[in-house]
Formats: sequence, C-alpha cells, structure tokens
Amino acid sequence: MTWFYLRWAVILAVGGLIAGLAFQNYRDHVAPVTPEQLIQFPVEGTVRVVGLVQPGSLVIDPEAATVEDFQAEFDLAGRLQHLPVRYRGPADDNLRELKTLVVVGQLDADGRILLANEFRIIPNYDYITAAYLLGLIPLALFLFVMERRVALLYTVIKTATPYQPESDHNEQG
Amino acid sequence: MTLSAFILWLRRYQGWVGLAGFLCTAAGLYLGLVASPPDYYQGDVMRIMYVHVPLAQMAMLGYGTLAGASLWYLWKRDPIVDNSAHAAAGLSAFFTAAALVTGSIWAKPTWNVWWSWDPRLVSFTIQLLILIGYLMLRKFIEEPDRQARFSAVLAITGVVNLVIVKFSVEWWRSLHQPASIKPDGISYAPDMLLPLMVTSIGFLFLFTYMLVLRTQLLYLRQLLDAKKGRLLSKAHL
Repeated sequence: MTWFYLRWAVILAVGGLIAGLAFQNYRDHVAPVTPEQLIQFPVEGTVRVVGLVQPGSLVIDPEAATVEDFQAEFDLAGRLQHLPVRYRGPADDNLRELKTLVVVGQLDADGRILLANEFRIIPNYDYITAAYLLGLIPLALFLFVMERRVALLYTVIKTATPYQPESDHNEQG
Repeated sequence: MTLSAFILWLRRYQGWVGLAGFLCTAAGLYLGLVASPPDYYQGDVMRIMYVHVPLAQMAMLGYGTLAGASLWYLWKRDPIVDNSAHAAAGLSAFFTAAALVTGSIWAKPTWNVWWSWDPRLVSFTIQLLILIGYLMLRKFIEEPDRQARFSAVLAITGVVNLVIVKFSVEWWRSLHQPASIKPDGISYAPDMLLPLMVTSIGFLFLFTYMLVLRTQLLYLRQLLDAKKGRLLSKAHL
C-alpha cells in the first residue's frame, strides 16, 4: 500500500503544480484592475482595466474608423471614478456604450489617460474554476476509491476462509 | 481473441495505460489552462471546453462499451464481459453526470441560464436516467444470470437514445453547438485543437484504465462471494 499512497501523492503534487501555473497565468495575463485602483496607484507598463463604457462618452474618429485602423475616445467608469481612454487599434464589435470591458494599454506620460490598443471580454474565472474542480476532483476521488478497493479485495480474498457446508461441521463434531 | 481474453490482456498493461492517461491529461490541462489563448467571443470561459468535451466523449464511449459488451454477453454468455458491461455502466453514469454539471456551468456565462430544454441536454439527461435504471436493475435482481440477461437487454434498447444524443444537434434546432470535428473538416483553431486532442486522448487512456480496474473490482467481489459460498453465476462455475 506504500507504493499506492506514494503514487497518489505524486498525482496530487502534479495537480497542484498545474493549478498553481494556471493561477499564475490568471494573475499575470488575465486579472484586471479597476479605474479607481489605477488612478490611486498608477502603473508603468501594460495594464488591464475593467469598467463600463460610460454612456454618452464614446467618440469615434470618423477619419480613422476602418477595420484595421480604428480610433475612439471614451470614459471607462468604475464604481466611483472615471478613467479617460484613448483607443487606437483594430475595430472591435465589443466597443459600445454601457458595455463592461477589459481595456488593455498603458497610461500616458501624465498618468491621466489610458492609451489602449486592445479590448478583452471580462474574465469569468469563477466558472472555469468551478467547472474544473467539479469535473476533476470527483474523477480523482472515484479513481482513488476504486484502486483502493481493488487492492484491499486482493488482500481479503487471499486471507478469506473458504465456505464449508454445515454438514461438514457436524461430521467433524 | 475473445473479448474476455482481450480484457485480461489489457489487465497486464493497466499500469502503463493509467500512466499514459495521467501524463496526457496533465499535459492537456497545462496546455488548456496556461498555454492556449482565450476565445475571441467567449474569452477565458471557453477553457471549460477542455474538461467538458472529454467528459462528454467518455460518457458516450462508456455507453457504447456497455452496449457492445451487453450484445457480446447475450451471444457468448461470458461472465467477465458481463462484469465489463456493468463496469462501463458505472463509469458512463459518472462521466454523464460530470459532463452535465460542467456543461451547466459553461451554459451560465454563455447562454445566461444553468439549464435549457435543449435536445442535446435532454437526451443526455435521459442517458443518465437509463444508466441509473440499469444500475438499479442490477441491484434488484439477485439471481446473477437473470440479472446479466435483463440488464443487457435494457442496455441494448438504450442505444436508441445514444443515437439521439449524437445527432440531436443536427436533427433539431439547438442552442448546443454542432460537432466541430467532422469527416469534412475541423472547425477548431489549431491553438485550441491541440489541448483538446491531448486531453481527450488522456481521458481515453484513463477510461480504459478505469474500465479494467472496475471490471476487476466486480469480478473480485463475485470471487469473494463464491469463496464465502454465496450466489455464483452458472457461467462462473
């Protein structure tokens, strides 16, 4: 049974490693900040900001409104503050007023306007985590219990006393 | 080679099959959760596909195995094949339930509902009910030969629903997307196809490993019963 538990410890370790890498991937490439967080703690380099495209704030530049080269300005609203955004990049169907978006870009030199070049859909990692946990943990438990039962059955069968009819007992008695 | 001889042959290599299943599944999950890009429309939530689709594939493979083994049992009356059919039913019920749960979680952010009376979802739920009925039937009938015979007939009858599950997305209007891998082409982007294929192959190995293991479990239980003088199938004798 030592080998059995050792094998399952390795499986758990590898599962934990993949979960850790997935979490790191989420933190580095997916998790966004709010406009309030960015205004309060400006960040150098690329940042992802989640917010609502403020109604009435979206202005599309008519001279740069092609599929490849698209320019627009809008306010990204958080719960308390707005962050002005200047977007330049490919046209995106997701850019419309009252839509919650993740905007990817860098703050300008003054740290007041976000110069964006990409949009992303808001991450639904709660659903992903739930689906993986509910799909894989029962599978691992099912397999663990089954393997353990088979290993135990082999032991029990070896040690089980074969059935003897009652008449044999009587004759012996 | 008879089917029971094939199962015994698989048992010799079950450790390697289990290892291959574990390695492929781990690699597929790494590719799906870390290395592959998010979907343009669904974003990261699409990553649920890398666990939901292999679970659903194994649910259907499990039922196919159950039906095939049941047919073989009715023809040859081989008790080890009956053990395999019983094992496949348990596994298929597990994978069907898991596919329904993960599918429901995926449906919420994409369809905005946990459940819909969609042909694929309904037929898949019927598959789960058939499998539960099969397992209950096996519990209720005590005499081993009758138990095996009756449950084999039920399993073969249920193949009608398996066909409906497969083609429901083509026969009726469905929220569920149609098959993406068809003889006339594959509609997945290569970046997404690779993790899905690797995870599916991993699950296939895992399913085979679990099937061999569960067949042994059922066989050993019968063997223990026999040793203790309980009921034994005529065929086992």
